[in-house]
Amino acid sequence: MLHAQWLAACLFLQVLPAGPIETARGTVTISGEITATAGPKDETAFFNYTDYEHNALRMFRVSVSGMWRPSPRFAFLTEIRSEDLQSVIPYALYVRVRPWAERPFDVQAGRIPPVFGTFARRSYGADNPLIGFPLAYQYLTSLRPDAVPANADDLLIMRGRGWRSSYPVGNPIPAPGIPVVSAYRWDTGVEARYGAERLEAAVSVTSGTLSNPRVDDDNDGRQLAGRVAWHPVIGLTLGASGARGAFVDRAIVDAYEEKLGPQDYDQEAVGIDGEYSRGYWIVRGEAIFSRWTLPKINAPFIDHPVGARTGYVEGRYRFGPRLFGAVRVDGLSFTKITGQRLFGGRPTEWDATVSRIEAGGGVNIQRNLTARAVVQHNWRDGGRVKQRTYVSAQLSYWF
Amino acid sequence: MRALALSAAVACFAVSAAEPLPAAGAIRGRVDVRVGPSADVRPDPASLGMGVMRDAQDRRRSVVYLETAPRGAFEPPANRRARMDQRNERFIPHVLAITAGTWVDFPNGDRTYHNVFSLSKAKEFNLGRYAAGHSESIQFNQPGIVRVFCEIHSHMNAFILVFGHRFFALTDDEGRYRIDGVPPGTYTLVVWNEAIRGDAPKRTITIAEAGDVDAADFTIR
Repeated sequence: MLHAQWLAACLFLQVLPAGPIETARGTVTISGEITATAGPKDETAFFNYTDYEHNALRMFRVSVSGMWRPSPRFAFLTEIRSEDLQSVIPYALYVRVRPWAERPFDVQAGRIPPVFGTFARRSYGADNPLIGFPLAYQYLTSLRPDAVPANADDLLIMRGRGWRSSYPVGNPIPAPGIPVVSAYRWDTGVEARYGAERLEAAVSVTSGTLSNPRVDDDNDGRQLAGRVAWHPVIGLTLGASGARGAFVDRAIVDAYEEKLGPQDYDQEAVGIDGEYSRGYWIVRGEAIFSRWTLPKINAPFIDHPVGARTGYVEGRYRFGPRLFGAVRVDGLSFTKITGQRLFGGRPTEWDATVSRIEAGGGVNIQRNLTARAVVQHNWRDGGRVKQRTYVSAQLSYWF
Repeated sequence: MRALALSAAVACFAVSAAEPLPAAGAIRGRVDVRVGPSADVRPDPASLGMGVMRDAQDRRRSVVYLETAPRGAFEPPANRRARMDQRNERFIPHVLAITAGTWVDFPNGDRTYHNVFSLSKAKEFNLGRYAAGHSESIQFNQPGIVRVFCEIHSHMNAFILVFGHRFFALTDDEGRYRIDGVPPGTYTLVVWNEAIRGDAPKRTITIAEAGDVDAADFTIR
């Protein structure tokens, strides 16, 4: 039986295209990516769960990208994805325009790629040297946009429970929290970008936030985000990003506006990123500080915006035409709040600090067929499971 | 299959390496490739702006070669060099035909990194990332077809055809080719083009005597 499945998989790979499909005189191009990731079930620690409640280390994912470019200055783009063959999600769907032919200035409108940071714009299998995602872009904190804690103790009791958090205000149904920056959904809005040889700048106005990108708007707020990248020499990129947008669901804001007065409940974030490559090396890193302003409903109050600090450094080295090795060191920590009932009334991080190291390697079986295997260890200062090691393997194919 | 044919050519000529070449004729003709160009550019929905609209890759260049080399075709390998540029995120030329033992230089003429590599059986290599003005070289010793790519730019690709003999020719802009110095005899003429799927078109051709010029045309759809 296994032999037959293997044979079927081999035959399937043989009939898949080797490169992008072109039609309509080359104005329409279609490409795709299939990744199959095998790993252990994790129904107690949830270190790698995404905001769609899938496990990044145990996932089957199919994505298809399409572009119609009828002229050099105009294009429609889309990318649809399905995770674990459940639902099909339009990850990207937008129009791209270059108003002036001679100027490297572009405008994109629709469901667009995020301008903040770098990781969320990388393609999943081909550009990720490992299998897991950085904590900043995947790990679920206990915050939610549609449900908020009434006081500091409500938030502290959810430490390390971002996979399914619940609060007394707003939506009463337990649901996954949000990552610092979501790499699994893109936001909807307009983006403008100027890209010269050494300097690149992009700004966007979108309906969601970094943590909670949206198609429909849930709070009549807009997020303004931007990034500047500098390429001082070939191979080196240094970037800085910022974003600010309304985070909390309108229903909660309206319910407490009379009591608390008009307030902005925003997510604000700043980040820096860098990449250097040379020869067979590539090294990347990002650091992000984000904070969310929550309603001060009851005592003990959450006096200040709650913050998260996160960063990672990853490197990949090619040992030869086919073999490569990679490692990522990652951390996520949180600002402190003070409750009454919990932690003896001492200032405590509002969510549990997480650290992660992931190392592995891969082999390019073909140019567009890569096998990877990684070992990932996680430590967490809270929650039901404090630490856990995972082993995962992935086969990814693109055309 | 085509790589095997190239290998067979080398095997044949190695057996008869010591014999001198007799007076020679030529084979000429035209390969009419009726295949549209291809840009090979993948959609880039993750990009924040418009990429450069790449010229479609001209796929009309073909290589015509003798499947088995004439007896006495041996030439001691010299320190031959060829060049494949990286310019405007293209390999230039897109198709290169060389004899085994040739060194190929890969200069980077762009203001961005490139990372030339191949996973082909005839030659696996990875030159790493290097910047504009720098060049790396590789010697191709084994006959076969080497597909060349850039690890950073997925639309960059090229072909290097490595032969064990010198009886091959790359077609020009009009599809014309000419193989000179072919000794009298009967040969199988084969045409290679990247658009060919399945068996390569072949033609049996005879050079009756020295100075004879035979013609063979091909059409590829």
